[in-house]
Amino acid sequence: METLRQLLVSREISELSRVTHLLDEPEQLAAAVGGVLPSAAARAPHAQLGEALAPAVERAVQRSIQKSPRTLTDILYPVFLPAIRKSIGERIDQTFQSLNETLRHIFTWHGLKWRFESWRTGASFSEVVLKHSLVYRIEHAFLINRNSGLLIAHVTADNATSEDPQLISSMLSAIQDFVKDSFNEKEQSSLDTIRFGDLRLWSEVGPFATLVSVIRGNPPEELHEIIRDVLLRIHEESSEALEQFEGDSSQLAGVEAQLQTCVELKQEESNQGFPWLVVTAALLLSILAGGWFFLSWQSAQRWQAYVSRWQAYVSRLEAHPGIIVAEQQVRDGQFYIAGLRDPLAADPQSLLSGTQVDPAQVHSQWQFYQSLEPEFVLKRLTASLAPPDSVRLSIDNDRIVAEGEAPDTWIDRARAAAQQLSVGGPVFDISRVRDVSPEVLEAERWQAYVSRLGTQPGIIVAEQKIHDGQFYIAGLRDPLGADPQSLLSGTQVDPARVHSQWQFYQSLEPEFVLKRLTASLYPPDTVRLSIVNDRIVAEGEAPDTWIDRARAAARQLSAGGPEFDISKVRDVSPEARAAEHWQYYVSRLEAQSGIIVAQQTARGGHFYISGLRDPLAADPQALLSGTEVDPARVHSQWQFYQSLDPKFVVKRLTASLTPPKSVQLSIIQGRIVVVGEAPAAWINRAQAAAEQLSADGVVLDVSQLRELNLAELNHLREAIQTTDIFFSSGKVVPGPEQTPVLDRLADQIKEFAQSARKSGVTARFMLTGHSDTTGRETANASISAARAETVRALLNKRGVAPELLLVRGAGTFEPAVPENSQTGSSTNRRVSVTVNLD
Amino acid sequence: MLQKKICMLGGFSVGKTSLVRRFVQSIFSETYLTTVGVKIDKKSVALPDKTVDLILWDLAGEDDIGSFRVSHVRGATGLVLVVDGTRAATLAAALTLRERVEAEFGAMPFVLLFNKSDLADRWVIPDSEIDELRQLGWQIYLTSALTGEHVDDAFRQLASMVAK
Repeated sequence: METLRQLLVSREISELSRVTHLLDEPEQLAAAVGGVLPSAAARAPHAQLGEALAPAVERAVQRSIQKSPRTLTDILYPVFLPAIRKSIGERIDQTFQSLNETLRHIFTWHGLKWRFESWRTGASFSEVVLKHSLVYRIEHAFLINRNSGLLIAHVTADNATSEDPQLISSMLSAIQDFVKDSFNEKEQSSLDTIRFGDLRLWSEVGPFATLVSVIRGNPPEELHEIIRDVLLRIHEESSEALEQFEGDSSQLAGVEAQLQTCVELKQEESNQGFPWLVVTAALLLSILAGGWFFLSWQSAQRWQAYVSRWQAYVSRLEAHPGIIVAEQQVRDGQFYIAGLRDPLAADPQSLLSGTQVDPAQVHSQWQFYQSLEPEFVLKRLTASLAPPDSVRLSIDNDRIVAEGEAPDTWIDRARAAAQQLSVGGPVFDISRVRDVSPEVLEAERWQAYVSRLGTQPGIIVAEQKIHDGQFYIAGLRDPLGADPQSLLSGTQVDPARVHSQWQFYQSLEPEFVLKRLTASLYPPDTVRLSIVNDRIVAEGEAPDTWIDRARAAARQLSAGGPEFDISKVRDVSPEARAAEHWQYYVSRLEAQSGIIVAQQTARGGHFYISGLRDPLAADPQALLSGTEVDPARVHSQWQFYQSLDPKFVVKRLTASLTPPKSVQLSIIQGRIVVVGEAPAAWINRAQAAAEQLSADGVVLDVSQLRELNLAELNHLREAIQTTDIFFSSGKVVPGPEQTPVLDRLADQIKEFAQSARKSGVTARFMLTGHSDTTGRETANASISAARAETVRALLNKRGVAPELLLVRGAGTFEPAVPENSQTGSSTNRRVSVTVNLD
Repeated sequence: MLQKKICMLGGFSVGKTSLVRRFVQSIFSETYLTTVGVKIDKKSVALPDKTVDLILWDLAGEDDIGSFRVSHVRGATGLVLVVDGTRAATLAAALTLRERVEAEFGAMPFVLLFNKSDLADRWVIPDSEIDELRQLGWQIYLTSALTGEHVDDAFRQLASMVAK
């Protein structure tokens, strides 16, 4: 059995013993359980596990805090700090808010009332103020899932409206994200206030849900706490449902009731009746008081006006000279005044008029006195001294001044009065009164006359004196100046006692020079002469002749005299002169042979001319030079023609006929006479020209032309033309036997050319090369030309001018003898010479 | 009331916004896309047993994947990937965006829309390629924002996928 058992269950027994051993050994058991504990905990229902673990965890935390509070503080620090910070922030806000409100209401009627309420209820004044001043209403409350932004619940106050709350709640969390992302805010805080005008959105963030309250008005900061409490309560009640929220809000129906408490929060403005009774009583009282004030104010105003008028009168009196106000007072509605007055001063009574002070109320007491004020003294002096008409008394700086002329008796009296016055009174100054005794007067008059003469232009007083009642004067005078005698009139100097001695002179004073110029130059009416700064200036317009005269006069004057400026006289003759110049030019043109002026006019300062001109005649444009006619103003129109004037005909003939030097063309009595020797050909051409010209009425007399004597030349010509230079067959250079022939030919050509030149004829020599018929024609042609070229070179070498030599190759075409003859070939291989005369 | 957060992803100018414009409820203007970077619309889809409100987060089109705000996708239960059928590069962009999202938040249901199907003459995506993707079991629709073709089908499909 044992064996059987061993066989059957030995494996199980060993396994069982291993397990028993495991359970018995705590170390091993701990290791085994530790291996499965995390997954066991993960699989256990959360709620139960939480409950089971809670007491142990609590105790563990407790122990941990007892042992070292620091560890847990460090753990919780990130959680607490924002909460603490927020709480402190809100507390500070609360304080500010209550302070603001307290200040705002401290001196108002409400303030008093609320103080009473504070005293009555025992609450602090600021509390009472806040209670009354913070008017707000929570209109909406949104509970929003923190994770998805989906709306969990939404409650609205009565009459409050909003858009779709689902969209709003999502958008609010989107904005939360937006702010957090935009400003890189890593902390677990959130956007807790949004304010838009009167509307505030307060958001309280819980672990799973955010409670957003929409508040209209001015909420107290404590409201945060109230809302937070609501959120806390919601989390307590439905923590699990909130955590597991996946969009189905039916699980969280109870939440709305909590939110409803939120929405019911509000503080409404107390509406009190208007205190009609108090206002009416206050109004009545103020009307009565106002009436009384107005009446008393009015009478005081009236009396004030009266007194001020009196004061104006008194100050007016005081300002009056000769009146001294000693005393004045107002008593029982009456006015009293006392003082001194000068009899010459104004009457105080009369001064009352116009002041609106009732004279009946004025009681005056005036005593007379003599005022020492200058104007009163002046009045008294005028009365006592009776000054003559020539004396004037006046007041100058509180002094009395007598001026004018008076007899010495009056002056003495005045001086006595001045001495009397000097004690205390103003000064009486009589120093300006002149003593008018007759001698003094006469001398004065004479001096006036002399100074009058002295100021006269053109009069120089050299000497003057008074001797025994006679007046003597001597000096120079310009005949154009004023007459000294006539100046006596009106001076009260007796002419019979004046002895003058005047010598004439020419004054260089501008006005005299002006007079003399006017007399000598006879300026036309258009010229005005005047004196400007001692210069004589002529202005206006005058013909150039006058200007020339004036210029001459100015030059004469220049030594010592005043300047005579005629630069401002405009020459009025430019147009006339221009016309003159033009006429001169036209006549110059007309005098020119080969130019026919057909028409010419001067118009608007421009000159127009037209006509015919021979191309060989002078250029009309060139003729302008020296005429002073402005070329720019000349408009010419010339047509070419052939003048039949013998001079032009001669020119043309010279150009066309090129007469030899031995011929001379001359004009004798309108006829063109050709004299001299010429080759017959030229004579023929001249005769042909003479016939043509005779048709135009021009006589060309060729009868005196003699034919050039060419006999000697002809002989020479013959000799030249019969000379041939011969060549060996196929050669282009003549053999040495030809050298004397070439020498002779060169001499003959030179002689002929020279003789011809003497006769006015140019001789040219044509060198023609020839060949025999042997060989090809083209080769022969070139040989013949080459032979002619060679001869030219050889002649040139012998002193013949190359331009006289012409060459051509005739090939076989011009044989000297028939080719078939015996000597044909050798005779034909040559260069022949022909003479041409141009 | 069942709601689901859906993100619409796609390259720049693939027509996401036009695609939903005519078929969804919206209260926000399109300027939100350029300011906040996201625009929220709602599409209610009635399934046989219930109605699902798809809260569509239309994220601003980004060709530059680096600047894509992945945080907007947090809490989403499905994706709408939008490709412009006339631009091959937008397919790669959409697939990259999806990979990016899955790496961050794990796999989630999606539909792939080849948009602008009305522009047949400019179409560049070969049918073979689309068939290959279908072989992977992907839900693919050729849509046109212009004609509205298949747009509703796509949203209905996605709604049934996320409501399970």
